[in-house]
Amino acid sequence: MSKRIWQHPEVPAGETTVSWRSVGQLEDTPAFREWLDREFPQGAAEMADESEAETSRRSFLKLMGASTALAGFGMAACRRPETYIVPYTKAPEWVIPGKATYYASAMPRACGATPLVVTTFEGRPTKLGPNSLHPDVCGTDAFAQASVLDLYAPNRSRRFLSSGKPAKRADFEAVLAGLAANKAAKIGFLFGADDSPTRARLTKELAAKFTAAKFYQYEALAGEASKAYGDGAKPVADFSKADRILSLDCDFAGVDPQGAVTPFFDRRKPEGKTYEQTPDESKMNRLYVVESAYSLTGGMADHRLRVAPTEVLKVAGQIARELGLPIAKGVNEIKDAKTLSWIKPMVADLKAAGGKAVVLAGSRLPAAVHHLALAINTALGAIGEGKPLAVVQTDAKGLGSLADLKADLDGGAIDTLVMLTPANPVYDAPADLGFEASLAKLKTSIHLGERTDATAHAATWHVPAAHYLEAWSDTRGARGAYTIVQPMILPLYQDCVSEIELLLALLSDSGKLINGEGEKGAPSPAYDAVRKTFASLGGGGEAAWKTLLRDGFLAGSSYSLAAASQAPTAEADIAAANIEAGKAGEPSKDSLQVVFSADSSVFDGRWIDNAWLQEIPDPISKLTWDNAALIAPKTAKELGIYDQIVEVEQYSDAVPYVVPAQGKFAKVGPDGEGENRKQRMIEVTVNGKSLELPVLISFGQAENTIVIPLGYGQGFDKDDELGRKTDQQGHVGLVGVNRGFNAYPLRTSATSYIATGAKVKFLEGKTYSLALTQEHSSMYGRALAREVSTMEDEHKGSFKQQLANVSKQGNDSHAPPNVYLYKPETSSTWHPGPDGKAQPLINDPLHQWGMSIDLSSCMGCAACSIACQAENNIPVVGKEQMARGREMHWIRMDRYYATQKDNTFDADNPAFVPQPVACVQCESAPCETVCPVNATIHTEDGLNAMAYNRCIGTRYCANNCPYKARRFNYFDYNKRNPLIKHNLYHGPFGTKAVGDAEHLQKNPNVTVRMRGVMEKCTYCVQRLKDAVIRQKRGQKQEALVAGKPSTEMEVTTSTLRVPVDSIKVACQEACPADAITFGNLLDKEKSAVGRTKSIERNYDLLNYIGTRPRTSYLARVKNPNQHMPDAPFIGKSTIHMV
Amino acid sequence: MANIFPRWSNLLPLKIAVCAGSAAAGVALAFSYYATPKALNVGYQPSQPIPFSHKIHVDQLGLDCRYCHSFVDVSGHSNVPTGSTCWNCHQHVQRESPKLAPLHKSMNPTHPGYDGKPIEWVKIHKSPDYVYFNHSAHVNRGISCQTCHGDVNKMEVVYQAQPHSMSWCLDCHRAPEKNLRPLEEVYNFNYNAEDYVSKHGAALGVKTTEELGLKLKEQFKVKPKESCATCHH
Repeated sequence: MSKRIWQHPEVPAGETTVSWRSVGQLEDTPAFREWLDREFPQGAAEMADESEAETSRRSFLKLMGASTALAGFGMAACRRPETYIVPYTKAPEWVIPGKATYYASAMPRACGATPLVVTTFEGRPTKLGPNSLHPDVCGTDAFAQASVLDLYAPNRSRRFLSSGKPAKRADFEAVLAGLAANKAAKIGFLFGADDSPTRARLTKELAAKFTAAKFYQYEALAGEASKAYGDGAKPVADFSKADRILSLDCDFAGVDPQGAVTPFFDRRKPEGKTYEQTPDESKMNRLYVVESAYSLTGGMADHRLRVAPTEVLKVAGQIARELGLPIAKGVNEIKDAKTLSWIKPMVADLKAAGGKAVVLAGSRLPAAVHHLALAINTALGAIGEGKPLAVVQTDAKGLGSLADLKADLDGGAIDTLVMLTPANPVYDAPADLGFEASLAKLKTSIHLGERTDATAHAATWHVPAAHYLEAWSDTRGARGAYTIVQPMILPLYQDCVSEIELLLALLSDSGKLINGEGEKGAPSPAYDAVRKTFASLGGGGEAAWKTLLRDGFLAGSSYSLAAASQAPTAEADIAAANIEAGKAGEPSKDSLQVVFSADSSVFDGRWIDNAWLQEIPDPISKLTWDNAALIAPKTAKELGIYDQIVEVEQYSDAVPYVVPAQGKFAKVGPDGEGENRKQRMIEVTVNGKSLELPVLISFGQAENTIVIPLGYGQGFDKDDELGRKTDQQGHVGLVGVNRGFNAYPLRTSATSYIATGAKVKFLEGKTYSLALTQEHSSMYGRALAREVSTMEDEHKGSFKQQLANVSKQGNDSHAPPNVYLYKPETSSTWHPGPDGKAQPLINDPLHQWGMSIDLSSCMGCAACSIACQAENNIPVVGKEQMARGREMHWIRMDRYYATQKDNTFDADNPAFVPQPVACVQCESAPCETVCPVNATIHTEDGLNAMAYNRCIGTRYCANNCPYKARRFNYFDYNKRNPLIKHNLYHGPFGTKAVGDAEHLQKNPNVTVRMRGVMEKCTYCVQRLKDAVIRQKRGQKQEALVAGKPSTEMEVTTSTLRVPVDSIKVACQEACPADAITFGNLLDKEKSAVGRTKSIERNYDLLNYIGTRPRTSYLARVKNPNQHMPDAPFIGKSTIHMV
Repeated sequence: MANIFPRWSNLLPLKIAVCAGSAAAGVALAFSYYATPKALNVGYQPSQPIPFSHKIHVDQLGLDCRYCHSFVDVSGHSNVPTGSTCWNCHQHVQRESPKLAPLHKSMNPTHPGYDGKPIEWVKIHKSPDYVYFNHSAHVNRGISCQTCHGDVNKMEVVYQAQPHSMSWCLDCHRAPEKNLRPLEEVYNFNYNAEDYVSKHGAALGVKTTEELGLKLKEQFKVKPKESCATCHH
């Protein structure tokens, strides 16, 4: 029943690396074995026996025959349906039907705007890409990619609410007019942490008009850094100038950006950004990370120290002490010899970098750590002009905090509050603050938001917000480049109002609310406001404005530098934090430490209704649709719950597929079968509150630490598995309902990031279904992901030798030369040429597409997967289908752990190795030879093409794919709402598509696939075709300009070939790490992809099978410091899955 | 004498007449439903909201295709003219013609019943959703409008002239030389390959229309693809 298994040679005797994907594999549970053997889990793929089936083959054929005959009676289907072409009445400027139009815009964010180029088709924004002209560009992360879906979200707020009930716009307008007329109003404004120059300007005008007005800023996961750097000031790193980087629990590559991150990744490539130099380890940077649980940044680290959350302060103090800084005396010394042996050589390395080393502290850490980081950076000479760190002054100055707001609410200093923050304070404010009670005292509170969340219901008025793709605004990049936010479309729903439009209404004398479009077709008043701001910044005149709209930013604009001096409160803050840490003491199994982490799918909870983000597996835990407590394996063992966590399901006789199993978990039955997989639950008690939630094993996490991602559990309905209260059902839509567990109530103002003294209770018999993808599509093979070290190794030799040996790792060292099993040159399947002789099938002389993925710069963030989903109309399948291994993502992000058997420094700190796998476009593709209907065949330019309309869904191709890169549409995910429980199983009676606008996001150049069709990565063939056609068209234009007749026009290979490196596929474009290179292999060394194919790090995945993949991988390079105690164990994590 | 015909046979002629009559009616109905130009594939000729005559506009007035289908050479989709394109001329010409009532409804604010909504033209040439066809890729490489759409310049009411089936597409992708024209002649509905050869043949070194096609194919480096992903993605 399972696939033919390649007989892998024995693991060589000298092999010290142990690698695994999941705890199940580490323990070799039968469940894991089954995932490995099969393409899909049991039951998902086959009928057990014909006699047991509801419909036998014979009766199925009878029924089909009868229905075909009956269809004849209707015959209406034989007549051609009438369809219409509806042109514009007056054509809008620039819009060419069938052609994409691109606009520069930006997504405003707390960490600095993400500059974007928005693809629109006939006015519909469908896809976001980075604006590569912008000085602060660094790809687009998963949040930015997925934000376009919010525009079309079915549960998007579209009408006014008054105290949670639908209300009339006119009534709100009356309230607003009353407010605008009352200049003595005690009005407060609560902003988000993003920076908008127009908003800052309007704030000043508001302060002048409303003399009693007060202004605040709040986002749930903003930290205390401003206490160290000054009001509105923040540190921004320039990674191109940093040779050595130390991250103190700072996920700067993931959810805690500290400036454009692409230059960091450029320096992870020994051959340079575009692979033009000979490998040179001295040009690489080195990353040290001190953290308590794996983050994406931690995964990239050359040296990683795992410490309890409260220990980060001590480590910072110790570094300051090593540097001889007086500020260090306020922090207790580290006594542990092992930790000291790690810190000392690290500090020496930072010092030796001579001003090219930088220390970054996680923005949510206590102020004391930021004071220390500032002192350390100053001592290292890291701050200043041309240095790796700058302290900049943002416009968000003089804004109160949420605590100030609460005091003013209670004290009566304000009686009207306008909440414009993207956060959801009623849900996410610290539990001890009692914000909701204070809010309830107000006679008028206005909430502007895209979702009808908890705050929308608690406020007296909720105003539906316009999406950033629907409104005029401006914002600033991480370093302060003035960036325009332009609307792509008028608000989809006519009542949606933008932040600036609401502020302008308050500023006007009449208080009239004008949103979307001004009167008589004039632009929105926000347009004039933004132009006025721009003019005041030196951008007067029409030409400058046009340039701004075209480029998306104002060249040369940036924040001013702030003075980077130690704050007067530094010593007091450090002393207080030190006492606090002393009180908490070392964590133990009876007094655990809890980290309230930002979630990589929902962030602080604001994305809970975004289906793409919910369905993308968490980069670390590989969990979808929910959150869970994460705990280190050793701690779980100490707590006595490890075995229960691993045994997610007991073996049952009802399951016919039996795997001979040995060892402790022999009786554990197959898991991962959708509703059958049950995760054990624990109760975490901290700060006097407790929360019941499922628990997962997480590797590389500090002992006695629990990580709980925030942002889930916002509302439940009657289908909730645990039967939780449904009173907050209206706070979320179909995507966000019944999702995970809310950890915000455990948080207090003082413990908003780290809480100590937590207790864990195992809940016997209580379980919860989780959709985990870590074992899905597991591949067999040796040396799947390869790693080398720049440090000389006893056995593996110098960096040079290790590089030379990359292509000989694993089976490639001794496998005989490839004999192509598929389409050998003399076989009957060989495609004959026009001369009747054999010729290669792949024969296009213009283009041969190829890709390479650099594992040295890939961090595993999965922005590529979401970009692919947006570009290629990939449907969402829902949690139920996800658990069955039916995810549709064309790019799957494999995540491996690997450790060294002889690791004497910290064996429980395995390396984290991500590897994105999509269809590798094999030249000798195993899938093509097994398709009975030729639905998947090769194109002349080297793509393994999929003709959806030909596919009959035998799934032989997926079964024969060694990379497990093919995805099957088990249901009509586009036509039947997959989010309603069991809806897909109701066939034609199921509820139809999600929402009324979701289809507007679809890319018109990509087929929307139906049920029963196989699909997979196509190298964005629609982009390739578009580029090729555009190039061909160019010839005619040139001939016309030259005035020559077309018969004299000169057309050559080079004029028809798409220019070198001019095409970007969706995943490559989105990648913040520039890890994906794509291009025409016939451009050879002229193109980046051509260069990657000839460097030593290049290798083919599963090369020994002889599939000749077009996508190759570049081995990961670690750059350890040879004086570090863990250096011998770094850079050896080549992954073997046997 | 016994009756040769039994009694029941008295009704037989009537029965035969009824049966034959209903069969004939069925055939007539079926023919009108399935086989008239409104239902055919080749020959599909629906009536349009405005009885627009290509014959008048192209053949008599000499309008270029691209006056109305203005993006055919830059976009994959060949656009149908916007209301304002029609109105450019028809606010002056034939303004009072009753046939233009839908245009007035769409464009003329002084017209009773003006709603500003676009005219809904009935689609004639229809490719399925899973087919990607790009006009600009063809007209810029020497394939004329006429090749696929027939003699539109002669059509009083437009109909589908070619089957537009996959095998029909492939016939040309396999032997494009049969249909290639010099780029200057792509929009010329009165083009005649033989005339072209007799006029320019000597300069180009070709004697027959076949040679002209092969010459152009070589000159333009036309190598149409036949793999699935060319049209299906």
